Amino acid sequence: MVWLTWRQHRAQMLATIGLLGVLGVLLLASAIETTQWAAANAPAGCPGLDPICRSFNRGMYERYDLVYQVVGFLPLIGPALIGAFWGAPLVAREIERGTFRLAWTQSVPTKRWVAVKLGMLSAAVVLAGAALSIMVTLWNGLFHGAFPDTSLSNPGKFNVVGLAPAAWWLFAFAVGAAAGALIRRTIPAMAVTVAVIAVALPAIIISQDFYAAPAEVIGVDRDTLMNNGDMIVEEKWIGPDGRDMTVPTETLCPPAGGTDASGSRAEIAEQDCLAAKGYQMVFDVQPVNRFWLFQGIQAFILVIAACFCLALAVWGTLRRRT
Amino acid sequence: MKDVHQLSSAPRRESTSGQAPNALEATGLSKQYRKAWALRNASFAVPAGRVAALVGPNGSGKTTLLNMVVGLLSPTSGEVRVFGETVRQDAEVLSRVAFLAQDKPLYDSFTVAEMLKFGRVMNPRWDDEMARRRLDELGIPLKRNVSRLSGGQQTQVGLTVAVAKRPHLLVLDEPLADLDPVARHEVTTSLMAAVAETAMTVLLSSHVVPDLVDTCDWLVVLNGGRVQVSGDIDDLLASHRMVVGPADGAETVAGRLPVAARSTSGRQATLLLRGPASLPDPRWTERPVRLEDLVLTYLRDPDASALPAPSLIRAH
Repeated sequence: MVWLTWRQHRAQMLATIGLLGVLGVLLLASAIETTQWAAANAPAGCPGLDPICRSFNRGMYERYDLVYQVVGFLPLIGPALIGAFWGAPLVAREIERGTFRLAWTQSVPTKRWVAVKLGMLSAAVVLAGAALSIMVTLWNGLFHGAFPDTSLSNPGKFNVVGLAPAAWWLFAFAVGAAAGALIRRTIPAMAVTVAVIAVALPAIIISQDFYAAPAEVIGVDRDTLMNNGDMIVEEKWIGPDGRDMTVPTETLCPPAGGTDASGSRAEIAEQDCLAAKGYQMVFDVQPVNRFWLFQGIQAFILVIAACFCLALAVWGTLRRRT
Repeated sequence: MKDVHQLSSAPRRESTSGQAPNALEATGLSKQYRKAWALRNASFAVPAGRVAALVGPNGSGKTTLLNMVVGLLSPTSGEVRVFGETVRQDAEVLSRVAFLAQDKPLYDSFTVAEMLKFGRVMNPRWDDEMARRRLDELGIPLKRNVSRLSGGQQTQVGLTVAVAKRPHLLVLDEPLADLDPVARHEVTTSLMAAVAETAMTVLLSSHVVPDLVDTCDWLVVLNGGRVQVSGDIDDLLASHRMVVGPADGAETVAGRLPVAARSTSGRQATLLLRGPASLPDPRWTERPVRLEDLVLTYLRDPDASALPAPSLIRAH
């Protein structure tokens, strides 16, 4: 069974290893180039918040952003590919091509056939997801201190580090396998799988709001929070009396005539004005130290959903009708 | 032909039917798809060591029956036993039955050698030496991709995978369909060679009766989801007589004779008789019973049946 699973699914496995390899080379090339550039261009004490580092930090960010253009798509593309090519054909192709009559009439009971296949491929998918996470995390570490780390606050980043890729890929594989076993045709099963993932991704991202009650932070400016890597959920002004601001800002601090009221300069002036009058900003934040809590909760949800889908795939496979 | 009634009352298998379990036993086997019954209350047995033909028109339930025998389909009611064991998803039970489905499924991307490896890793009693020898004799290269083989060669590879599993019961669904006459002959020959070598029981379905005459020694006729005939072919041929006469007098003649099945074409009536009888008048003539005639006459008369003594079915 181990050989059979490898032989029947090696194309997907090798393609996945190949794509991860390409990504690895890209990340490695970026890491080498960044390290060399940083060694040659970093002023003493940089990276850091000191204004002297500003230009260096910007250079670092450009190097980061170049690769993030690719990495940022992975939270959607990765699970979609895994679900469509690893999961959906697993049972559907056997039924479509009639080979289930061959596979399920050998001396291996169908229950074991499906259990071994789902088990082995689940393990492989988790390993591949973990490999992605490790590669991205190592590369991401190079930029520490140069600009705010968005691993918690940016879903595009949150879902390629930590436990997320392994959990997402397992979930996607399970959705694909279940769709294939229930629909029994490969292409429709692939389409349904991609659709489910396209809905699940934003749903899971939105659900983060319920993982933990945000902490209220007063008297800290936004840049500090961003530099921490905290996720800002909500922000508002409170008056000197500690109550929510009831009067529109324009009334309290009307913009100076002749300036663009929506420009950043005007915004800074407005904030300075409000601060001078005793107003303070209040932020609802998910502090950066909740990163692993959030990763854990999300992975837990995805693993539970994956188990449900795997059970559905087993049920769909064993429900014999021919 | 003289001692017809003796033969009909003493099937030669009766002596063994009390001991060893039959290779295959179906009891009250039924399968319902939504509202339609694909198979209804089918009971029959195939003794061990036989090559049994399952015959019936398209849509008579042959494939449904075979799928239940190999465990791909669960019966709505009734049960199938293979060598006394109820067919179920159990490694030991599954290892005793091999199946070659109608479309001869093989993994397209596999080489012939990989198909053999598939058989080896999936079956505890796999006979690799036998598989390789068979394919070598047939001139099928092991390195060739399965999708590049001819239809006949694909059937041979499928048959090899089934036979090298060393099953006690080999089930073949229309193994000769889609093959040209030369390939038919080759497949039949190599199947019979494998049967002779391994002493396995075979159940094969077909809707082409002449293919079966030289190969099979047991007949099961399925018609409209019901088992019409089940028995040893020699016994069936010996215990039946076929008489042909004018259609207009057939009613009265049939009333006086032990008619098993009847059919009418144009002005001519064919009566299939069980046991001895004297012909009513010279317009009626007796013909030798051929397997094909026997099958066709029963199929045209769905209410008729020739089923074995209950002892055969309840042999275990």
